[in-house]
Amino acid sequence: MSVFTDDIIGFKSVLRLAYNFLNGNSYLKRQKFKERKKLISVALPFSDLIFASDAVPVFPIRMEKFNIHPYLTALDTAKNLLGWNWTTKLLTIARKFDFLEILDNVLDDVIYTINDKYNELYDLAIDNGIPSDFCYGITGLTGMFISKAKNLDANINFTIRCSAWNKYSETLQDYVPRQIWVDIPPRNLDNSVELLADNVSKAISDLEDVTGNFVTDNSLKKQFRIGNQIKRFYKTILFELSNSDFYPCNPATFAEILALLGISFQDYNSNAQRYLENFSDLVKESRERIDKERGMDVSDMPRILVTPVFGGWEPQVHEILYDLGARTIYADWEILNLLEEIDVSKNSDPIRSYAEFLFKPTTYGIGYNQEALTDSYIETAKELQVDGIVFNQVFGCHSISNCYSRLRKKIRRKLEIPTTVINFNKIGENVEQVKTRLGAFMEMFHL
Amino acid sequence: MNSLELLSEFETFLQKKKDTGKKIIAFLGHDNIPIELLEAADFFPLRMIFAGDDQLMNSSNTYLPPSTCSFAQSCIGYFTLTPRTHKFLEYVDYFLLSNHCVSDICVSEIISDVADLKRLDFYVPYYRNENASKYYKIELTNLKNEIEKLTRERIPDYKIRDSIIKQNDFKKVVKDISNLKIKGYEKLKLYQKAMLFGPNVQPELERIVEKHRDHNEINLKEYKNLLLTGCSIFIDDFLIDLIDESGGNIVHFDTWIGHQYYSQIFSQETLEKIQDPYKLLIKRFETNVYGDHCISHSLENQINSIINYINQFKKENPNMEDVAVLNHIIKFCDHFSLFQSTFKQKLQEKGVKVLNLERDYSRAMRGQLRTRIEAFMEMI
Repeated sequence: MSVFTDDIIGFKSVLRLAYNFLNGNSYLKRQKFKERKKLISVALPFSDLIFASDAVPVFPIRMEKFNIHPYLTALDTAKNLLGWNWTTKLLTIARKFDFLEILDNVLDDVIYTINDKYNELYDLAIDNGIPSDFCYGITGLTGMFISKAKNLDANINFTIRCSAWNKYSETLQDYVPRQIWVDIPPRNLDNSVELLADNVSKAISDLEDVTGNFVTDNSLKKQFRIGNQIKRFYKTILFELSNSDFYPCNPATFAEILALLGISFQDYNSNAQRYLENFSDLVKESRERIDKERGMDVSDMPRILVTPVFGGWEPQVHEILYDLGARTIYADWEILNLLEEIDVSKNSDPIRSYAEFLFKPTTYGIGYNQEALTDSYIETAKELQVDGIVFNQVFGCHSISNCYSRLRKKIRRKLEIPTTVINFNKIGENVEQVKTRLGAFMEMFHL
Repeated sequence: MNSLELLSEFETFLQKKKDTGKKIIAFLGHDNIPIELLEAADFFPLRMIFAGDDQLMNSSNTYLPPSTCSFAQSCIGYFTLTPRTHKFLEYVDYFLLSNHCVSDICVSEIISDVADLKRLDFYVPYYRNENASKYYKIELTNLKNEIEKLTRERIPDYKIRDSIIKQNDFKKVVKDISNLKIKGYEKLKLYQKAMLFGPNVQPELERIVEKHRDHNEINLKEYKNLLLTGCSIFIDDFLIDLIDESGGNIVHFDTWIGHQYYSQIFSQETLEKIQDPYKLLIKRFETNVYGDHCISHSLENQINSIINYINQFKKENPNMEDVAVLNHIIKFCDHFSLFQSTFKQKLQEKGVKVLNLERDYSRAMRGQLRTRIEAFMEMI
């Protein structure tokens, strides 16, 4: 049985987030053909400029048609007729009469449906000549472009220190002729912020050209404000809720929610305002549940940070850890400094502020070298007060996965908490080994 | 001269440099490092251009996962394996970290840590435009300041300029080598020597060029003529032997050890027009379009360069078979691996025969590589 289902049925904010993610295909069609909006692809959470130009950012997997269970489709119909509140109430009632456990399958499908699609697109890329020694993330993304790039009006790229990423970005012009680049200088030296700000300005001009819309300081600041609020809620979930002794759901479900947030944060499910509302509701609903003691006492369960997962990970990890008595935290965007707010104060220059924001991940998050990256892991682990770290070493990743030996030493020296490494190549490929490894890791907490 | 002789000669050479008080700075060889700035600071720039083997690769496993490029792995092995494969690496005083690829960053950090070498950093922009040039200048200034802090001596501009002129003259000699009618196997040895010793071997190379200049010492019709692109063939790599033994001859090295190095020559006019040495170095970064570090048109530039060469070869050798392309990819190389199928497809569309040869440095691969090269030779 899914660990996701029982908890989520009354959690309408999560249902909405999941539904909005999975329903991307028809939402985006409507935006493109009815609303005449331009679709611009983005990967990694850099969608702000696209929103500010009144275009629609798309994390490309969301153009796919997912095998949404008929019950979820029915849910959409019910939602249109009755609204979300009544729909979730109905679902709760239906749950009581769900002797065949159909609803278990419906919602269980959410994360697994996304992951099945990831694997399908990974295979598509391999079939189209992408070497199998590239990381799952880049290969999967390439598959997404092979599959649906024809629907896109442009793609936006941000250079980072991962050379595979930069080269992959170069290959995208074969799928999406209109490429917009934001070249982030490797380090923040001297007047690099001004150079980056100028690069951001040029990217904005390109966006204006694609959309035919004029991007103003106000439109930028408005979007940054929305983004900042989303980030604040995200941090609340990571630092307040994930750190409490009582969870609004079971910890595996909580991890599923974190996973969903991690994926959807890249394009805010193509609608920043709606995403913000969902996030706000998620925090509100979680607090209400905790107040009403609806959920689970997790005070005796160690908190395990599993990272990095944004480039692909085995989604069974949190269920395995839950079975072993632990709770899982996914916090990649915080580690990489992508939850930092952008200055929107009255006299600020939004383009410069955005440039300063972009330098934070480069300097302190992913860093310009492994020293900075591992420092970032240590800092975040300290702030999150986790009890252990599971490092997800992605096959073929040369920028993040390579830091494990350095990280392990630092953890021993500075944190003195248990750590282990698991290997990942493709979803579902290595589950037994992961189980064994995590089992041995969890033994350390029972000594 | 075989690799053993070359390395032994280099060992003696470096020992002498060290005896005179020269500081040795090593780095993973690539084309955007301002070695003139290092030379002006009285450093000897040592390019890590040595091929690996199983032992060297394996010794990096403490630090890096096996899904790392075997060249990067081997570079770590050169500094961690004892006794050292190349004793002269013990003379290294500093290590220069750069970001040619992300493995360059990781490996340089690891080497400087495990070998306890003071590290200097030099980052190259990922893009090539006006702002990238301005950033390149920032990095140049930063590197200069860092070196000056280290040596407590100012690096005068005239010294950098002198070094630029010296290196530029040397590149002209290396370019002359590319025009010699000798076997590709021999050319590669000369290129490798040039990369390793720098202008110190200029008189020797000039003599060789002079000796062979007007002699046609190879009948190209006897060989399957190839253009090598992708990853460079480093010192002591058996790949060149396999190509040679299979009846192949590389007529053009479209790699960093080869064309990408000597394609960066400044014209006399440019040297006279631009007096500021930093502006010259920036100019070189701007015009280095054949390098594989910068995006966003690296593949396009690589293909154009190859097609231009093939057309030129056709013009000069109208009665000969077309040159085929051997795309050498060191496994897990971010720069050449991802593009390989597109690269092949685009060249095949233009009627060029291409072999994507992906490999690591393990001895066990030798048989498989030989078979693939021989099969390709038969096909062409």
